[in-house]
Amino acid sequence: MKSKRFEALAARPVKKDGFVKEWPEVGLIAMNSPGDPVPSLRVENGVVVELDGKKRAEFDMLDTFIANYAIRLEKAQEYMAMDSIKIANMLVDINVPRDIVVDITTSITPAKITEVLGHMTVLEMMMAQSKMRARLMPSNQCHVTNVKDNMVQIAADAAEAAIRGFDEMETTVGIGRYAPFNALAIMVGANVGRPGILTQCAVEEATELDLGMKGYTAYAETISVYGTEPVFMDGDDTPYSKAFLASSYASRGLKMRFTSGSGSEVQMGYAEGKSMLYLEARCLYITKGAGVQGSQNGSVSCIGVPAGVPGGIREVLAENLLAACLDLECASSNDQTFTHSDLRRVARSLMQMVPGTDYICSGYSATPNYDNMFAGSNWDADDYDDWNVIQRDLKIDGGLQPVGEEELVAVRAKGARAMQILFRELGLTEITDAEVEAATYARGSQDMPDRDVVADLKSVEDLMGRGATAVDFIKALDRGGMRDVAESIFNIQLQKCAGDYLHTASKLSATWECISAVNYPNTYHGVKTGYVISDERWAQIQDIPWAVDPASI
Amino acid sequence: MTQEQMLEQIVKQVMSSMSTAAAPATGATGTVSKADYPIGDKRPELIFSATGKAYKELTLDKLLAGQLTPEDLRIRPETLELQAQVAESVKRDAFARNLRRAAELIAVPDARLLEIYNALRPYKSTKDELLAIAAELKNQFNAPISASLVAEAAEVYYNRKRSKEFL
Repeated sequence: MKSKRFEALAARPVKKDGFVKEWPEVGLIAMNSPGDPVPSLRVENGVVVELDGKKRAEFDMLDTFIANYAIRLEKAQEYMAMDSIKIANMLVDINVPRDIVVDITTSITPAKITEVLGHMTVLEMMMAQSKMRARLMPSNQCHVTNVKDNMVQIAADAAEAAIRGFDEMETTVGIGRYAPFNALAIMVGANVGRPGILTQCAVEEATELDLGMKGYTAYAETISVYGTEPVFMDGDDTPYSKAFLASSYASRGLKMRFTSGSGSEVQMGYAEGKSMLYLEARCLYITKGAGVQGSQNGSVSCIGVPAGVPGGIREVLAENLLAACLDLECASSNDQTFTHSDLRRVARSLMQMVPGTDYICSGYSATPNYDNMFAGSNWDADDYDDWNVIQRDLKIDGGLQPVGEEELVAVRAKGARAMQILFRELGLTEITDAEVEAATYARGSQDMPDRDVVADLKSVEDLMGRGATAVDFIKALDRGGMRDVAESIFNIQLQKCAGDYLHTASKLSATWECISAVNYPNTYHGVKTGYVISDERWAQIQDIPWAVDPASI
Repeated sequence: MTQEQMLEQIVKQVMSSMSTAAAPATGATGTVSKADYPIGDKRPELIFSATGKAYKELTLDKLLAGQLTPEDLRIRPETLELQAQVAESVKRDAFARNLRRAAELIAVPDARLLEIYNALRPYKSTKDELLAIAAELKNQFNAPISASLVAEAAEVYYNRKRSKEFL
């Protein structure tokens, strides 16, 4: 006979997820692998001669880069001698200020920090995350894409996402050559929603830099680094090429962060028997050594790998915390979809939502998942109300707020209209009134008319051929009567000239204040300190339009 | 792209790198720290564009009147040096080093910058080719910090058999 209980359980969504038992030899282990090196550091005449059990002569390219650039050596020997449990306790202890912990955690080796985090429970790590986040207040980022690369819809979705609270937005492409249009659409739409939103377009590294230099984007984040040398080579890069790329971005006044995450090395077959957390530690040390201000990490697009092994979601939290320990901005993933279970996807995200990170999602899908061109997100536009209610239930600030339908329709219309005007003034392909209206009321690209892709791509080529830059976009928007949007795009260019937003964990306020870990450092040191939700913000978070008002009964 | 357009673009490129090089040289601007941050708000008088225009002179009205070019909105080395000092004041030394490399790389034209990045990918260049780029950065662009990074890469790639010789 078959158990009816088991029959019911077998039909649950979680049973469709993939799970695997630990297999340390190939790196299918989240943390504390028997293959992880024993922490060690020897410094002679200011040079690291031994790192985590390897002599300099045995260093691979990553070890060399980390040894040369990523560890602060002044007090390194002293801190390496500290008991790992003691450091773990300091991370949790509200009475130990962030500065003191950072002094230690930026002076120890990848194996040592991995050992420290390996002692901690998720609850302890969440406490630590709350204190170690670089910026005082948390924030959130979204993806704005669609399967048709429809730029009118991108602008409308970005405008909506802006009033919902996202401070950063990322697009990408289905068809590569659409990149300039998509980049323009997300920048214009976002800044229609609220001035000062930073936008990016994730494409191949060199193209991404080119778009940034011309003023189509404000920052970049899809600059991947990996935890073993063979995987780095497969990615067609090295720590040195990526460090040079990082400086290239800053030389054009462009903000950027690196991307890494557990599971990529396993997936590519070169984990070298190390735990996922240890390999991610190497990625983050390369990020630090390259002098990059921050990281998008937390497994990101390989989330299926850690999620399949025991303790995998704990490991993802440990990765985010590790980035914060290295004093890096952390855009903490919560993007790619990994489970069929609604329970699991919430549990996974609470690890970052509750303590708050610099960008809780580095890709909340601002569209339904069928339009998400980053292979789907753990959260999408159909979940907006759920996210808002979770914030309201727990009194936490996940960066979003409820909006009313009227306000939503108005801002989507303006975003779409801005694209129509911009395209007309730049002499690009026509955007019809029907498309503007469709985008205003659309849920996703299934509600959008098809565009003439061939004509669009010719138009892209024309735009790039003339070497158009932000200056042209600003003039065009003003000519078309959208001076406020023109001004926003102009002010973003000014940031690239002043360079303030290059700093750790930056974002721009609606009144163009640059808010970063320099002028708004995290000051958490106990109850009612650090970021505390203000009365105004709490009123905004709790105001879901469908709640019953006792006064009206 | 037609040949004519291509030529136009190359000329533009050359002109923009020349105008950058012709920016008026200013002496040391003194030391700033986190107290001066954001510099654009608190110490705008310290910021000039790549073309030497004062930060406060960069306005939307001027841009719309055709008085500002894309080059007028570019960052200049002195500004990145100020931001590096801010970074050091909050103990972010590695980040400050990156900003100082970046300050050097402002002088390298866009196209050449992308070429050097591509040359630094694994198996793309021989040790000697990378050393030549290091020399170019040092001698032609006065970029010693970036040059030493590339020279180090030349050695490390060769030792790890990741340079073009081992393809």
